[in-house]
Amino acid sequence: MKKKRPIQALNAKARAIQSLLDGEGKTVAALQQGPPAMPVGCTTIFDTGWETNPRPTYPVGNCQSSAKDFHGCAGDCWWPAQVPDGLTNHQDFDKQCPNVARDWRVLKYD
Amino acid sequence: MNRKITNLLVITIILLGMGSQDTLAKDTFYYLGHGMIQVVDGSTDAIVADIPIDGWLRESDFSSDNKFLYVTAKRHLIHKVNLAENRVVKTIDVGDSQWERFIYGFDLAPDGKSAFVNLLSRTTRQGEVVVAAPRLAQIDLEDGHILRSIEVPWSSVSLVSVKNSSHIYVIGKDIVMVDVSDDEMKIIDRYSMFEKKWNILPLWDNTKENGGIFMVNYYTPELMGLISIDTNSGEITDTPLDGPPVFAYSVMRSVDKKKVYAVMDELTVIDLETRSYGPIIPVPGGTNYAINISSDGKKIYVAGGGSSTTVFDAASLKPIKVLKMKTDGMDFRRLTF
Repeated sequence: MKKKRPIQALNAKARAIQSLLDGEGKTVAALQQGPPAMPVGCTTIFDTGWETNPRPTYPVGNCQSSAKDFHGCAGDCWWPAQVPDGLTNHQDFDKQCPNVARDWRVLKYD
Repeated sequence: MNRKITNLLVITIILLGMGSQDTLAKDTFYYLGHGMIQVVDGSTDAIVADIPIDGWLRESDFSSDNKFLYVTAKRHLIHKVNLAENRVVKTIDVGDSQWERFIYGFDLAPDGKSAFVNLLSRTTRQGEVVVAAPRLAQIDLEDGHILRSIEVPWSSVSLVSVKNSSHIYVIGKDIVMVDVSDDEMKIIDRYSMFEKKWNILPLWDNTKENGGIFMVNYYTPELMGLISIDTNSGEITDTPLDGPPVFAYSVMRSVDKKKVYAVMDELTVIDLETRSYGPIIPVPGGTNYAINISSDGKKIYVAGGGSSTTVFDAASLKPIKVLKMKTDGMDFRRLTF
């Protein structure tokens, strides 16, 4: 007996999504899996590298202060969940907040 | 006797000429901020001009006659800045009605009319996102149209012109060497980095100020090293360093070529002869992205990240001035006349 789909596609967009799902292959892989790979998408590079290494002595951890790395992370979309995405949704975020330590109170983004 | 006098006169004139060159050497620095470039006079270390500009800035390159500074903004604009008038005189967008394009790597071509860029492109087709493979392209600086291009590896982020721009080194996970001397660009070689577990962030390019040497630091799980590209010969040199790694965004060689300065939260001095770390000085105020030095080597400048520029005395490594910039910044370039 053919199993019924719990949700029916009713319009063209939904049917397009359904057809994608039907033919969907592997789309996600761990970065450590070979061959050497890096994610492709909002950012071209994603070397969290030394910025996330805790240090045994002062200064410990990331940039001092984190505000100093805000624009660097935002513009190139390194951390799009945490700071404005400067490549797609908030290309002009710097106009609101050119100096984060001074202007952070006026920064608004979704 | 007459010959001796003549020789003495010639030597005196040469020495006077060298002395006057030192006296006349004048450094001007350009702080690449957000919506603004600020100009710093290297003799007084004072901010002398603000240049309004659209967007958050990334790469930069001086024209060969030093009259213009080209800067990329928002990863898709290229601004041409007239350095005599301190104003933007032209802006182009590398995107068009078909494709959004983003610049990750910029280098002016020797003709002064075009530039090499590494482009990531995206568009939508029938509601789906389409991302094209990255391409090294030569574009016309008049209108941004692509003159020629070649596919390059994913994650390429920086370009270095070598051998008078007959070759472009595309830096990403590895360094891919592209021969651009003929009509058709060709990938001719690759310098492996990723397989050696190198972690690299080549976003700060001070090749012009660094005597034609592109230099960047890299990390392995065990150590920090320096990779340098001689833009005259194309030779790549690896300098692994002894001891626990320091943290640095960018590096720059000293004028005497014996040391390298590195900066992130600290200013670190690296001895090139012993390949070891020297003094490590915390930077007042914390993290900085960019580093530069005065043309006489007496002052070290660290800037970017936040909105400060700190000037260090290179001999004592003591901070001698902190400039409060109007915006946070990305880079700090020097032009010497």
